[in-house]
Amino acid sequence: MALVSIRSCGRCGFLLGLRAYATRPVGTPRKREQQDDTPVFQYVGQHRKPQGKVFVWGFSYTGALGIPSFVVPDSGRKKPRKYQLTPYRLDTEQKISSAACGYGFTLLACNSRDLTKLWGMGLNKDSQLGFQRTQHDRHKSYDYVLEPSPVSLPLVNPQETRVLQVSCGRAHSLVLTDSEGVFSMGNNAYGQCGRKIVEDEVYRFVFQQYKQHAVTHGLGHHSKASCPVPVGGDLAGVKVQQVATYGDCSLAVSTEGQVFGWGNSEYLQLASVTEATQMSSPRLLPLRGVGRVRQAACGGTQVAVLNEEGEVFVWGFGILGKGPKLSESAIPERVPATFFGRSEFNPTVKVSSIRCGLNHFAAITDRGELFVWGKNVRGCLGIGKHDDQYFPWRVTVPGHVTDVACGVDHMVALVKTII
Amino acid sequence: MTSQAVRLFRKMDGLFAVYKPQGVHWKHVRDSIESNLLKALNSCPPPAPQLAVQFQLLSGGENSSSKDVVLSPSMVPTLADHPLVTGPQFHKVHVGVGHRLDAFSSGVLVLGVGKGNGVLEHLCKSHVTRDYTLEGEFGKATDNFTHTGRVIEKTTYDHVTLDKLERVLAMIQGANQKALIMYSQVDLHTQEAYELAVRGLLYPHGKSPPILTGLRCIHFNPPHFTLEVQCVNETQKYLRKLIHEVGLELRTSAVCSGVRRTRDGPFKVENALTRQHWTAGSIIQAIAHFSKATRKIRKSEMYKQTAGQLNSNAQVQEQTRSQTEQINQQHVELSSSTSDTVVDRETPVTLSEGRTKH
Repeated sequence: MALVSIRSCGRCGFLLGLRAYATRPVGTPRKREQQDDTPVFQYVGQHRKPQGKVFVWGFSYTGALGIPSFVVPDSGRKKPRKYQLTPYRLDTEQKISSAACGYGFTLLACNSRDLTKLWGMGLNKDSQLGFQRTQHDRHKSYDYVLEPSPVSLPLVNPQETRVLQVSCGRAHSLVLTDSEGVFSMGNNAYGQCGRKIVEDEVYRFVFQQYKQHAVTHGLGHHSKASCPVPVGGDLAGVKVQQVATYGDCSLAVSTEGQVFGWGNSEYLQLASVTEATQMSSPRLLPLRGVGRVRQAACGGTQVAVLNEEGEVFVWGFGILGKGPKLSESAIPERVPATFFGRSEFNPTVKVSSIRCGLNHFAAITDRGELFVWGKNVRGCLGIGKHDDQYFPWRVTVPGHVTDVACGVDHMVALVKTII
Repeated sequence: MTSQAVRLFRKMDGLFAVYKPQGVHWKHVRDSIESNLLKALNSCPPPAPQLAVQFQLLSGGENSSSKDVVLSPSMVPTLADHPLVTGPQFHKVHVGVGHRLDAFSSGVLVLGVGKGNGVLEHLCKSHVTRDYTLEGEFGKATDNFTHTGRVIEKTTYDHVTLDKLERVLAMIQGANQKALIMYSQVDLHTQEAYELAVRGLLYPHGKSPPILTGLRCIHFNPPHFTLEVQCVNETQKYLRKLIHEVGLELRTSAVCSGVRRTRDGPFKVENALTRQHWTAGSIIQAIAHFSKATRKIRKSEMYKQTAGQLNSNAQVQEQTRSQTEQINQQHVELSSSTSDTVVDRETPVTLSEGRTKH
């Protein structure tokens, strides 16, 4: 445009003193010669696959989050961060396939054949993270582990065996491997590690291997059981696909989609079959309106199940997720799907897995979004505030959440990036 | 007796929608509509001129030889009302503009004439949603987020697939859903907040940043792609920046090559007037077409004002939310070919039900 106007001035003669302002009308692109000079950058290759990341949030002073600068700041100007209220990325060397949260400690497992398959951080007073040898004394173990540290397992074939799943309790942990059974470590005061109870045992250096399936207690009596025994009651002969427990109540889901429960029923968790406060052998729970159950999750006082259509049902005592008025329910109540992102733009969103912490719930939808609700104990919900959440609330995580582990006051999420 | 021009002027009261072409400032559109209306008003045939009695001096007939002067009355048209003397009858028609569109964008622009300007203000305050179609192009980043700006960076885009784009859009939409509830100014620890959230009636009231209530990709042909956006409280620059951010999330860069507003509240693009129809006759027809929607907007605002004096804050908010839902209700039809079904929002509380509640 500017060139054209100068040419016409030239015809009239420059003596006119015409100043040509180079104004282009809006919407016309610039000349092509200016565009081709810029170099082209490539940020991502054509065949890049999404990566796995780990995000942690909650109470950090036990070291359970695995970020030492929150507890012991590395620079003089920083202050220790007691609560991490929003998801924070944890750098891991390997891709973590399974994570579990206990009371103040975390275990991360990698599904590889390397020598280091398991990392632990947090409280280690009962050796729930194995033996973490101190720098100064070879016979002492750290009480608090602030960074993800390798947990060494006494494997027969350390270069062949893979760790499939980890699970943590209040002060003990269990590790499931593919060919060498289950390993347990930590507190054994009630026989929860599956070995003989020793009175006044010091738990700092003990490790025990046991070659049975997951340990449960539903044996029909009320004393301690220190060896794994098959569970009887209504569960005899039933194929179980999933077991869930947290405080004192346990649920098992069979392959046909039925739910069996036993344990504490003080908070109406098992009120559909019993009026008593405890049930010592498993009974089938006739849950009406729930359909085929795919997954169950137990909290301290509340219980949740997920059915095949992706709907979540909650009952028990506490913040159940249907507003502040509903604090107790003996029958399963459905959490409305509008909370999980279902709207007229996305009519087919459903929940793909649910987990329970001691006082809160977490649900993952099939679109990779994480929703939490319940009591916000020391910031464990990850929603950026200390307030309790009475209905499902989205947690902002940069990526697709594939799995989440809930502890009492912290949570760990395994996330896949989008690109 | 009213003249034809005055009768025509009285018909010009209400709201209508106009299709603003790209590259034109919204003020030029408003000015040309106003001048077209004035032209039509002033070209109406003027009423017959008033006649006044005038005494004219006439000389006597041939009979009288004396120099008698005779005054004879006659009706003569006065010149006081002649259009060449007074000038055009109409100088100004009040034409107001609703939510503005900047020069780069095109689409539905709501205008109000005469008494409709008051209703226009209510429409602007009522948090109705607007639909846009955004055209984007991967591979470039410019300084003003459009394809006509100065190119800052060029990147490759062969790794971008529709699957990845949809995942990024789902993430953006998730964040906006959260913002919808956060800016709704309702205490989240109450049972009323839970009830509203279940019904999907939590909506930002008062000041809020731009929030997208819906986001979808309707066409993908690398490097070009098209997004359909439903948003509230937005500016067109924010939407162009959205395209840029979608590019950043996909680890490439993107520019916007077109912003087109397809709906503004109850005013849709099918009923918007194109340039040939910016004449008084078509405008009056359009005003009559939208009179129902205009009445609804006016009613909802009046209800909000009277209800505010009687009820508690939460109840007023709930009822005004349902009013906004009514105004928004017609437009949930998804216009693209990729949607299989037309999904409507659940029917909200109507006015009569709302009144009987308290």
